[in-house]
Order: sequence, then C-alpha cells, then structure tokens
Amino acid sequence: MGEENGDGKGDVIVLMKGIVKRFPGVVANDHIDLEIRRGEVLALLGENGAGKTTLMNILYGLYQPDEGEIYVEGKRVRFRSPRDAIAHGIGMVHQHFTLVEDMTVVENVILGLRKYGTFPDLKKAAEDITEVAKGVGFKINPWAYIWQLSAGEKQKVEILKALFRKVKVLILDEPTSVLTPQDTKELFATIRKLVARGLGVVFISHKLNEVMEIADRIVVLRRGKVVGRLMREQANPRLLAKLMVGREVFLEIHKPPREPGRVLLEVHGLKVMGDKGLLAVKGVSFRIREGEIVGVAAVAGNGQKELAEALYGLRKVEEGRIIYEGEDITKAPISERIRRGIALIPEERLVYGALPTFTVAENLILEEVDKEPFSVPVPVLTPALGMRALNREGIINYAKKVIAKYRIYPPYPEYPAGKLSGGNLQKVMVARELERGSKLIIAEEPTAGLDVAATEFVRETLVKARTEGSGVLLISSDLSEVLSLSDKVMVMYEGEIVGAFRPGELSIEEIGLMMAGAKRMPEEEVAKIWQ
Amino acid sequence: MAIMLKFEEREVGKAAAILIPLAALGLAFLVGAFMMLWAGVDPIAGYTAFVTGALGSPGGLTDTLLRMTPFLLMGVGIAFSNRAGVLNIGAEGQYIMGAIAATWVTLALQYVVPAPISVTTAVIMAIIVGAAWATFAGALKAFMGVNEIVTTVIMNWLALRILQWLLRGPLKSPTAQQWPMSPPLEAVYPPLIPGTRLHIGFLIAILAAIASYYLLFHTNTGFKLRVAGQNPAVATYAGYKVRTFFLLSMALSGGLAGLAGAGEVLGVFKFLYEGIAVGLGYTAIIVALVGKNHPIGVIFSAFMFGVIYNGMTYLQAATGLTYTFSKALEGMIYIFVLLAEVLILYRIRVIRVGGE
Repeated sequence: MGEENGDGKGDVIVLMKGIVKRFPGVVANDHIDLEIRRGEVLALLGENGAGKTTLMNILYGLYQPDEGEIYVEGKRVRFRSPRDAIAHGIGMVHQHFTLVEDMTVVENVILGLRKYGTFPDLKKAAEDITEVAKGVGFKINPWAYIWQLSAGEKQKVEILKALFRKVKVLILDEPTSVLTPQDTKELFATIRKLVARGLGVVFISHKLNEVMEIADRIVVLRRGKVVGRLMREQANPRLLAKLMVGREVFLEIHKPPREPGRVLLEVHGLKVMGDKGLLAVKGVSFRIREGEIVGVAAVAGNGQKELAEALYGLRKVEEGRIIYEGEDITKAPISERIRRGIALIPEERLVYGALPTFTVAENLILEEVDKEPFSVPVPVLTPALGMRALNREGIINYAKKVIAKYRIYPPYPEYPAGKLSGGNLQKVMVARELERGSKLIIAEEPTAGLDVAATEFVRETLVKARTEGSGVLLISSDLSEVLSLSDKVMVMYEGEIVGAFRPGELSIEEIGLMMAGAKRMPEEEVAKIWQ
Repeated sequence: MAIMLKFEEREVGKAAAILIPLAALGLAFLVGAFMMLWAGVDPIAGYTAFVTGALGSPGGLTDTLLRMTPFLLMGVGIAFSNRAGVLNIGAEGQYIMGAIAATWVTLALQYVVPAPISVTTAVIMAIIVGAAWATFAGALKAFMGVNEIVTTVIMNWLALRILQWLLRGPLKSPTAQQWPMSPPLEAVYPPLIPGTRLHIGFLIAILAAIASYYLLFHTNTGFKLRVAGQNPAVATYAGYKVRTFFLLSMALSGGLAGLAGAGEVLGVFKFLYEGIAVGLGYTAIIVALVGKNHPIGVIFSAFMFGVIYNGMTYLQAATGLTYTFSKALEGMIYIFVLLAEVLILYRIRVIRVGGE
C-alpha cells in the first residue's frame, strides 16, 4: 500500500508533499502526499477524524501545515488565508454553508469581489451569474434570498461562488450529507460537468457507494495517514471499507426475529407547532411496542423533527396525547421523561449537540450526573439541598469504557469535546443516549455523518436495544436504513401519516410516491398496522 | 479595502494566565512613570512607596489583605454569574444593599443582644438582601427576557440613591457634622490579627472562595450551572431547569456581594456613609475576568487588585499627588490588565475585507 497506482488522466494542478499537521494529542495529517489533477474527481475517503477535512483546510489556507510543501501548477505556494488559496484557483465548499441568509443569491456570490465596485451593479452581476449557472446546468433565481432556498440550492450557490472566482480546483467537504437522494444525483451530474470542463474536483466523503459512483481516483486516509491509493476500477466497497477501518466490515445488518411485546408508547392525534408558527404535525396517531423499531420515511421538513421533539418534551403539544407505559406524559417535563427512560438523539446537533469546552467524559454523563457512580451523596449538602459530589473516577472510568466501545478518537476522556471531529462528536452524542439503558429511543438521523464502522456499530446497537426489549422510533433520510432496520415503517407527508407498512410489503416506488405526497393509504389500513 | 478584526478564542497555559496580567501591570507602571514625570514627581520614589507600602510591612500587608476582601467576595460572586451565562454588572448595588442591611440590623440589635448574635444576624441579613437584590434582576431575565446588564446597572443607581436617602433620613446620625453618616456600629467583626485592621471578614472571604470552588467544580449543582451557562439549549435538552440556575447564580452572586458590603461596614468603617460606594463592585468584574471566573484564580487576582488599591494610597501619600491623579493611574492599570486579558484569551487577526 502507499504506492501510486495509475497515473490519473490530466496534468497535476496541485501537489501536496509530506504534509504534517499536529493538534494537541493528535497527528491529524502524518506526512501526506497528494496530487490533484485536471479533469478528474479525486475522492478523499476516510473515517471520522481520519484527517480528510484537515488536509483540505490546509490546502484552502485555513490551517498552516507544520511540515510539508504545497505546489500549484509547479510553483511552491504558502497560503496564509483562504484569500490566498482562492487567488491561486482553489475553492472549497464546506459542510456547513457560509452564506448570508438575509442576502440574495447575487449578493452572496459577489460578496467580497472587487470587480463590481463599492456600489455594485447587481443587475449586471445577476446576468453574469445566470450565465455561469447556465454553463453548469443550474437553474437558480439570482434574486432569491438564501433563507428561501433548500439545502441543495444553497450548495449550488456555494459552488457558483467558487466558479465565479474561476477556481481550478473545487473541494467539496461531505457535500451529500445535507442532500436528498434527488439532490445528490443532480450534484453528481454537476461534478461530471465540472471535470469535463477541466476542473479538478476533490470529493471528501466516508460514503462508499458515493465514492464508487463519482470518483476517478481514490485516496484512503486512516488516522492521518494515506493507507491506499487506487483508481476506481481497482476498487470495490468491501476493499475500501477494509482500508478505511483497518479490518473487515459487514455491510449488512443482522437482525434477529423478535416478537413485539406490550405497547410502550401510544400517540393519539398529536398536533405540534413548527418554528414558523404553523402546525408541523397535524394529528398523528401510532404505537410503538417493546422490541420493535418503527421507522419514519419522509423527506426532510415533513414534521418528523417536530414529532421527535414533542415526544421528548422539547416542543409543546398543541393537541392530542402521549401515553408512555400506560401513563399520560403529554405535559411531563423533560427531566421526568429522561428518568422514565426516554432518550433522544437530536437532529440539531449544533443546537443540542454537545458542550465544546467540556470534556468528552462530561458530555457523556450530561443526563446522568445525579446518579451513581457519577456523583455520590455527601453529608449535610445532600440531605439538606439535594447536592451531590461529582465522582471524577466514576465519570472517567465510564467514559473510558464508552470511548473504547464506540471507538471515539482520540481516546481521551478529558479531551475537550469541541476538538473532536464532527463524526466523533456525533459518536459522543449517540453513545450518551444509547448507553443509559433507555426504554424508548427516539433516533433522529443517528448515522448521519458517521463513517462505515461507526454506522455499522450504531445500527447494531439500535437493533440490540430493540431485541432486548426497547422501542425505537427511527427517523432517517436514508431510506435504505429505515427499510433495513425497521419492523414497521410509517410515511410522513406534511405532518400526517400517509402510509404505514412492514418493510418488504411495498416497493420503493410506492414508498417514494407516498413520501412525495402523490399517494396515500386509506386510514383504516394505516391504523391496522398498530394493532 | 476595509480592515476588520477577528477574535478567535484560544487556549492559554496556566503560566501565561498568571504572567500576562503581571506583565500588563509592569507595562502600566512604565506608562504611569511617564505620567508621574509629567506631573513633576519622582516615579521611583512613588513606586518604592507603592511596593513597600502594600507589601513591605506587616501593617501594609494586612491592609492589602483587607483591601482584597471585597474584591475577592464580589469577584467570586461574579464568577458564579458569568459561569451561568448571566452578565451581572450589579455587584456594586448588591454590595451597597448588603452594607445597608448590615448597618440597619446592627443599629437595631447591637445594644439588645450579645455582639456575636448581632453580627451574625447582620451578616445573614446582608447576604439575604444582596441575594434578593440580584435575584430580582435574574428573575426579570429568566421570566421576562429583560436584559440583565441593563437591569443590574439601573439597580446599582437605585441602590446608591437609597443609600443617600437613608443617610439623610432614617439612618442619619444625630451627631453627624461634615457628611451624612450613620451612628457608629459597636457590634462589629473581631480582628483577625490583633493590632492590625485585618478582620475576620478576610477569613470568611477565603472560606467562601474555597466553598464556591467546591460548589462550582465538584458538585452536580455546579456542573449543571456551568452547562446551563455554556449552552442553555443543551441544558434544557438534558432535563435541567435552566431558569433555576440563572436565579441560583444571581442569588449566590448577590449574596457574596452583600457579604462584602457587610464586611466593609462591620470590619473597616464601623459606620455607614456614602464613601463605601467607590466602584469596588465594578472593579470586581475585572477581578473575576483576570481570575478566569475560577474561585481559586479569583483569590490571586483579588490579591493583585488589593495590592494595587492599597499601594496607590501609599504612592499618593509619598508623591503628594492628588487623589484624582492616583485614581486615574489606577484606572489606567485596570485598562492595561483588561486589554492583556483580551489579548491572551483571544487571538486577534487582522483581516482585509473586500477587494480581489
């Protein structure tokens, strides 16, 4: 391994040699060599925390390498900021968009460009943008405000921004993580057009099937080192997974049969308000039994998020009832729901996710801090005020176990959570919710942003919890995940349940039609499945 | 092309956290030396008096500890509210209210009950009144979303006016000549070291700082308070009652400021007058910042501020500078220390905006 296999097609635009980047306690990039070629899609594949994003942030001028050299078209360069990188024709689209929501597309695209002057001629700019957009087949209204756009459209604006600055290399950091399957298809078509025009595209991902579909050349990173360089023809998902993880990975899920037990959660005619003051959940009723996974198939924004938040108590219920283990918890505070064994893996990781300045260990025990062994009673304070002393040893020991089990990297309980990579931070959140022996697990996008091994692990853990008698509400935009994990699936469209079935009963086409609102099952049939 | 400053938080080592404020102090002294030369006095003599005065003799040192006591109590209190994400600018007002409460109770009880009972009651009332004064602002934030910076500042003025009114009315000493003041207090703090002015309030402040450290970093309550301060959304999600921690932090903050107020009237002045309100509560905000909102850190930063405060009086006496001049010098030191804090806590990058 480590040998360059195949020469690639075009000439080299960017050459990175011996790049080293150290962070406290970790070598994020350990002597990495990389070439980016004209007219080629280079996939950077690796697990969470493998160093993909770090490497590209170095190329984009966001970080300075500790060692190593960068050449652009044969000339040695040093980038002190993204400005320098852009000036040398290197553009990057980050996972989290960097657009001004209250500005129009045209304003966002020309932001920081001198060409249009202090008082820019927006009409002229809009024409230029439409021209560039046409060239890559984007249909986009330059006068639309960013907040009006979907995630897919925002990404197109980001790509337009880069193209408008005449980049030669376009870096896409996990570009599909926010996209619907349809948007992903469009993105891939766009990427094809870009490389046909001679751009070099770097596609950062941990999704094997996407890499297999779009890449010309694949570089696999593990723990900051290059562990494989292959042309797409030489690769297959199994081999790539093995390179990424360092061991054999089972890509299918083993799900033992399980008779559902008694009813755990009953939801009656639930109505919940969305952020915009309109009903987001419009009277849904369903049941979750012990030992079953109920999946929600829906396009993002159809009320599934609001449903999950209402069940956990983060959102007020307007109408309807939530019965948990035979008791009405519609108005119960979150602390009581936690105590009764309800867990939520939240979709809004940036809001509810984690505490960046707290340690990994502290993040793991957030909800459990009042319990042994994380805190212990002390004389006077506990009986009088209910205060307990933190037990550092108990917290650290627990964290060590969880870190090993979830392979959180770097494996230090006292590492600040804010310094973890996105995927590892997510492992912390998932572990926090799954490790406290919850009876009802509400999992919103539990594997989004996770690498192959972690995805496999989280899915296994969910199935194990279900097999051991927990109930799971699984909300995922990954339809194949919903279908392969769930015992029952409900389809949500505009806040209503428009279909419910057991996996295998319906074809993907039928499910797709229901998700798009083009078809719905009769109510009696939906009701029947909860019996 | 515009120039913009970008503040990026950065990590600092323990050594830097201690050395940088000291370096700032040195720099401030250097600039102060030029100010003194300009004012026509000898800076070397001034600084000699400053150092030997504040640190060089048992009397001077105990006076420094005496001066650091209110800084310590209020600094630790502000550390609590800062940790809970509440910006409490109201230590000054809470301190005044504490001083008033302690005076009032003492005047009512000192000849009725034994001194220890009078003092204890006065201290407890000062804590309660300070806490209530602060919690009111906290409640306005927690329940109505009113900005706590605005309310605490307004309440500082209110407290000052109440003090002025009381000294000219209900608490006025019949024998007061030059300025309005209360009758003398007889049941007061015993001295900590006989023969010096240092009173047991200093010991109480150190114990309070240690207890605060324990509460904040070694109990579940402190943990939740810090979580709620860093990210209220996460705290809500984890089932914590975020409002409770806003209110608790304000109560602790105000209670400690009230205790500081009690210490000044019962330990230092032994009567109440307007001169107790000289902005110690505002300085305490910088004390908390320099102490990194950590009660143990605040012990050290309060000591530093005690040295400055005490040393300045010696400097003023030795050089014959006016009170206002020495206060200006003191203010300049604070600005240097504050700037140094910002410079170590944040990496400031100059970025050019606009243009190709």
